[in-house]
Amino acid sequence: MTEAIKKEEKILSIRDLSISFQTALGSVDAIRGVELDLYRGETLAIVGESGSGKSVTMKAVMGILSSNGVINSGSIDFTYYDNDEKIDVDILKLTKKHMRSHINGKHIAMIFQDPMTSLNPTMNIGAQIMEGMIWHKKANKKEAYQRALELLELVGITDAKKRMKNYPHQLSGGMRQRVVIAIALACNPDLLICDEPTTALDVTIQAKILELIKDIQKKMNISVIYITHDLGVVAKVADYVAVMYAGKIVEKGTVDEVFYDPRHPYTWGLLSAMPDLDTFDDVLYTIPGSPPNLSHKVEGDAFADRNIYALNIDHRLEPPMFKISDTHYAATWLLHEKAPKVEMPKALKERIERMLKEASDDGQ
Amino acid sequence: MDNKQPLLDVKDLKQFFRISNKFTVKAVNGVSFHIYPGETYGLVGESGSGKSTIGRSVIRLYDPTAGTINFDGVDISGKLSDTEVQHLRTNMQMIFQDPMASLNPRRKVLDIIAQGLDVHHLCKSKQEREEKVYQILEKVGLSREHANRYPHQFSGGQRQRIGIARALIMNPKLIIADEAISALDVSIQAQVVNLMKEIQRETNIAFLFIAHDLSMVKYISDRIGVLHLGYLLETGTKEEIFSNPVHPYTRSLLSAIPLSNPRIEKHRTSETYEYETSGIDYAKGVSNHIDGTHYVHATPEELKVWL
Repeated sequence: MTEAIKKEEKILSIRDLSISFQTALGSVDAIRGVELDLYRGETLAIVGESGSGKSVTMKAVMGILSSNGVINSGSIDFTYYDNDEKIDVDILKLTKKHMRSHINGKHIAMIFQDPMTSLNPTMNIGAQIMEGMIWHKKANKKEAYQRALELLELVGITDAKKRMKNYPHQLSGGMRQRVVIAIALACNPDLLICDEPTTALDVTIQAKILELIKDIQKKMNISVIYITHDLGVVAKVADYVAVMYAGKIVEKGTVDEVFYDPRHPYTWGLLSAMPDLDTFDDVLYTIPGSPPNLSHKVEGDAFADRNIYALNIDHRLEPPMFKISDTHYAATWLLHEKAPKVEMPKALKERIERMLKEASDDGQ
Repeated sequence: MDNKQPLLDVKDLKQFFRISNKFTVKAVNGVSFHIYPGETYGLVGESGSGKSTIGRSVIRLYDPTAGTINFDGVDISGKLSDTEVQHLRTNMQMIFQDPMASLNPRRKVLDIIAQGLDVHHLCKSKQEREEKVYQILEKVGLSREHANRYPHQFSGGQRQRIGIARALIMNPKLIIADEAISALDVSIQAQVVNLMKEIQRETNIAFLFIAHDLSMVKYISDRIGVLHLGYLLETGTKEEIFSNPVHPYTRSLLSAIPLSNPRIEKHRTSETYEYETSGIDYAKGVSNHIDGTHYVHATPEELKVWL
C-alpha cells in the first residue's frame, strides 16, 4: 500500500503549524506544532474531542481563522492545477483577498456541520449552486444552470429542475446537506474539507451521505479531509487517521494501523470509550479528567495528567513523534527504547482481536 | 414479568396537529408501549418519526388527540385535576437535548436545580433547600462550590449533569431523556450514560430514553421501540430487536450504524428502505406477536414475507 501512495502526488503538506488566540484571559495556544500530509485522491480523518484543535487547523487551511487568531510559525503548502498549470503556494503567505478569489470555493471547498446555517435562506438553491461557478469560473448563466442540474442529479436529488427553485426551508435535513455538497463540488475543487458533515443528520441519512461523498470522490479524484469524533464514520471513509489532543497530533497512520494497532494511550481511551454493538460491560470506559486548559503553558505531555500509563518523564518533557512504520507515528514516551513495556488495556485488545477475526471471517 | 405492574402504560396514543382546515399532521398514530419500574425503554427513529412528540405527550406538554396514558395507577391522558397535576409534575421529569438552551442563563445553578422544590413548596427552610441541592450535586458528580455559578461557566458535559440534577431532585419515578446525550462528545457521552445507569441502580428510576444513536440505545436500554412516521413498527427486548429484526425499516436502521471495524466497514453498503416505493401501508398494519415481548406492526401478508 505504501508503495502506491509514494508515487502519488502530495497536495497538502502542513509543517510545524502553531496558532494561538488572543483572548481576554491571555493567549491560548490552540495549535502546537501540527504536521500533516495529504495525497491526491486520498481521505484523511482528523479525530479528537471538542477543543482539540481539529476545526482550527482546517480553518487555517481555508484561511478563515477568526480575527484574534495569530499564526506563530509553520507553513501550509497546497498544490493545485489552474488551467493544467501546476501551482504551489504557501497558504499562510497569501492575502485574504487572494484566498477569496483564487482558492476558497475554487480549489478548496468546505462542508459544514449544520446544513441549515450554511445555506442562505433568502436565495433559492439553484442560485446558490450557480453563484460559485459564475464568480470563480466566469461561467455564463446558461452553462452554470446546466452544470447545477447535473450536480443536483449527481448528489441524488430527483426532479432537479423543480428543486432548483426551492428554498432551503422547503427541504429536509438530508436534502439540504446534499445541496451543500453540490455547492462545494460546483467548481471541481482539488480538496474537500468536511467538518462533521453528518453529525446533525440521522443514521440512515448519514450512511447515504457518506456513501455519496465516497462515490463522488472516486469519480472526480479529489482529496477529502473529514473532521469528526465518530469513529464509525472514520472506519467507513478514511484511508489515513490523525488523532489530535490539545492542539497536537498524538498519533497518525493508516486506518488499519490506528484501529488495529493503536500505540498512544489517548487513542486507546478513544477506542475504548465508544460502545460497539457487542459491548455488554456494566460500565463504559471513560477517559478520566478533562482536557487541559491551553491558556496555561503545557509542561511535558499534555495528556500526562489523564494518563494512567504516564511515566515520570511525561510530566517534564514533551514526547517527540516516534516512528512505528513508514506511515505510522505516535507521540508517547512509551515507545522509547528505554521505556517499560506497556500493553494496551485487555478489553481493547480482546475487542481488536474480535474485530480482526470478524474481518477475516468476512473474507477481507 | 407478567405479574409486575407497569409504571407507564401508553395505549393507542394519537397526537395530531392541525395545520389548516385541510391539513393535519399525524405525528403519532396509534402507539402503544409500557415501561416497568426501574427499566429503560429506548425509542429510536429518524427525525420526524414522532419520538420526541411521544415524550412530550406523555409528560403532557401536549394534549393527546386520542388514547390513554396510565402513569403510576393514574390516568393522565384527559383533563387533569389539581392533585393529578401535582402527582404528574413531581413524579415525572424530563432531561432535554441541548443543555445550554434548557438552563436559564440568568439564574444560578442552585436556583435552577431548586426550582421544582420551590414550585411545589417542598422545603420548609432555606437551609433544607440548599442542603438538598448540595446532595444532588454530589450525586451527579459536581461539588457544592458549583451551586453559586451560572450555566455558562460549565462545560457541555457538566451542564448536562445539572440538567440531570434538576430532574433528580424531585425524586421522580420516571425520567424522559429526550436526546439527552446527542449534543455531547463521545467520551463525555460515556460519562453521562454511566451516571444515568448508576442512578438507576441506586434509586430504581425508570427511563424513557429517546435517541437516534442506536449503539448507545442498545447499550443503555432494556427494551427498544422503533418508530417511523408516527407508527411503532417494532418493539421488543434489545436482544430480540438486534438479533432478529423483522421489519425492513428496522433492518435498514441497524445496517446504517457504522461499525468501528474499518476492514468490514469499507466494503459494506447499508440497506436502503423507502416507504413510498416499498408498497407497505402502515395504516393497514396491526401489531403482531412474534415471541416473548417482540411485536411487529404489519399486515398478515407482509409478515409472511418477512419471516
